[in-house]
Amino acid sequence: MQSKMKESDPILEVQNLFASTDNLPILKGVSMTVYPGEIHAIMGRNGCGKSTLSKIIAGHPSYNITKGNIKFSGENINSLEPEDRAQSGIFLGFQYPIEIPGVSNLEFLRVSTNARRKYLNKEELDTFDFEELVKEKLELVKMDHAFLSRSVNQGFSGGEKKRNEILQMALLQPKIAILDETDSGLDIDALRIVASGIKKISNAQTGIILITHYQRLLDEIEPDYVHVMADGQIIKTGGSDLALELEEKGYEWTDNLIKET
Amino acid sequence: MEIIERIKTNKLIDNPTDIQKICLNKLQSNPLPNPKSELWRLSNKSKFSNFFEYSANEKNPNFDIPYHSNPKDIIRIVIGLDSQILLKKENYSIQQLNRDKLDKYIKQKISCFDQNEHWSDLLNLCLSSEKNILGLKIKGSKIPPIEIFSHALSNSLKAKTLVIFVEKDCDVKLLQVNLGKENSSLSQSTFFCLEENSSVNHGIVSYGERKSHLLNSLNVIQQKNSEYNLGSLHFKFNYARFEIRIKQSAGNAKTNIKGMQITKNNEQISTYTKINFNGPNGFLDQINKSIANDKSHAIFEGLIIVPKIAQKTDASQLSRNLLLSNFAQIDTKPQLEIIADDVKCKHGATISQLNEEELFYMRTRGITLTEASKLQLSSFFQEIISFIPISKDRWDLLDKLLNEN
Repeated sequence: MQSKMKESDPILEVQNLFASTDNLPILKGVSMTVYPGEIHAIMGRNGCGKSTLSKIIAGHPSYNITKGNIKFSGENINSLEPEDRAQSGIFLGFQYPIEIPGVSNLEFLRVSTNARRKYLNKEELDTFDFEELVKEKLELVKMDHAFLSRSVNQGFSGGEKKRNEILQMALLQPKIAILDETDSGLDIDALRIVASGIKKISNAQTGIILITHYQRLLDEIEPDYVHVMADGQIIKTGGSDLALELEEKGYEWTDNLIKET
Repeated sequence: MEIIERIKTNKLIDNPTDIQKICLNKLQSNPLPNPKSELWRLSNKSKFSNFFEYSANEKNPNFDIPYHSNPKDIIRIVIGLDSQILLKKENYSIQQLNRDKLDKYIKQKISCFDQNEHWSDLLNLCLSSEKNILGLKIKGSKIPPIEIFSHALSNSLKAKTLVIFVEKDCDVKLLQVNLGKENSSLSQSTFFCLEENSSVNHGIVSYGERKSHLLNSLNVIQQKNSEYNLGSLHFKFNYARFEIRIKQSAGNAKTNIKGMQITKNNEQISTYTKINFNGPNGFLDQINKSIANDKSHAIFEGLIIVPKIAQKTDASQLSRNLLLSNFAQIDTKPQLEIIADDVKCKHGATISQLNEEELFYMRTRGITLTEASKLQLSSFFQEIISFIPISKDRWDLLDKLLNEN
């Protein structure tokens, strides 16, 4: 396991996080720290709390933090609104990107981008300048310009929706991107396009958390750390080899680990 | 309700016209609609009685249209102001109906009126002075868009009547705008007659100010092979009631209706529609949307009548509603009355709130909750707004709606 840039401050610190929804505990003491330039992968069975963790970091109003803290760039963001988290640089790539009928993709992307630019004290872009910017970013995910005139994600195939997520990530230039099962529903070519987009967008200042079930995404983007989640906790952390071990031994191995702990 | 008392005692108008006499006569025994009837039971009694608070006397007809005064390529008419209309061009003509023909047509309509169902029209025709009844005959093609304004000034009750004959093979875009100033009541009755092979894109935009009231009634007769498209929007009235009656006189006609009402504070706005297929192969596609906020109340009641003669009718009626507050109320009742056995008819209603997951998705992209709600509302509005024949550069209606809701 190699350590990158530990001399800088962490981007994200999740400290002994407990969270619930409708009084049902989902997270039961999750801790992890992401430094700039690091790629973390979270793996685990369905229902182990991976997606919940991502939503709580992004500020989903349906979940309550009952104990612990989330710190972003050193600041506690437990009670920050989702839009404030996004503007300050937290990006969540959805497992199932939401369709918004009647709202044009172009306008949606422009409003989002300008919200982030405003936070960064950058000049907001008018429609013409934004079109120039988005044209350049479309190349990254090999998307056709026609996608922009359609409603947000409406009628998009599974692969197109995921590419649209990465396009948004490219436009928003987040400090940390949490990508929830971005590889699900993608064929091999689409997976490569998405993975290549993520690699081009990420840099030494960006942290990335990949939530996935499969090794195939991690073959394209090698993580620095792999965390295995079960029953609302991170039960094991290791390097990229851990993902291979998990692929080989299956989740029964994690069940045994829980019993041991 | 002084006006009602004066109707009862036959002292409403000095020197009434023949039409006013007939209508007064029809109303005299029962001057108010039956509050227990399906058409009136949800109507807020106190708001309804506020409609009669203002004086129906003629005074100060001057009216400033709140938009560009000299629109290019648009024919603009203000009911009650334009005395003589005659436009004859190479491709089309718009002609004012002469008084005798107009009176004859209206009397014929009144003879079929049911006191309860057509109460709004009867009241309108009681109160409309001759100069506030406008009749037009439109023929030809490539007609510039027409805008017709009705308005009630502050502290007044105004009644305006519009009769339009669209002749054979004619194709016209017509926008009706009903404006209610603060503390006012407006009664608007419109009668449309579409001849064979004619096509009308009709828009109705009604908006009021504080304590404004509206009774808006629309009666359409469609002859065969005609197409009638209606896009309507009613908002910002303390009390508004929109009644639509459409009859496909011999079937074989197309009707598309997309309507929306927006209520807030403690307003009540209702839409009642009755679509009657009187022949085979009729087509209807109707969607009515309501948005209710604060303590307001929105009502939709739709009725589609398909008698035995109307075989092969294809009709759809959908009511979609957004409830934006725990204290707001929406009543909706789409109904089908089908006797014919070979028809394709469907109806449905949904009431929901803003979609939480859509909102969260937008918020994770840095869009504030307020902006995200506006985007969602704009997508809800868009389907209706885009159907109203209105020029966006002159009427930024969507922006107006979003800023006020």
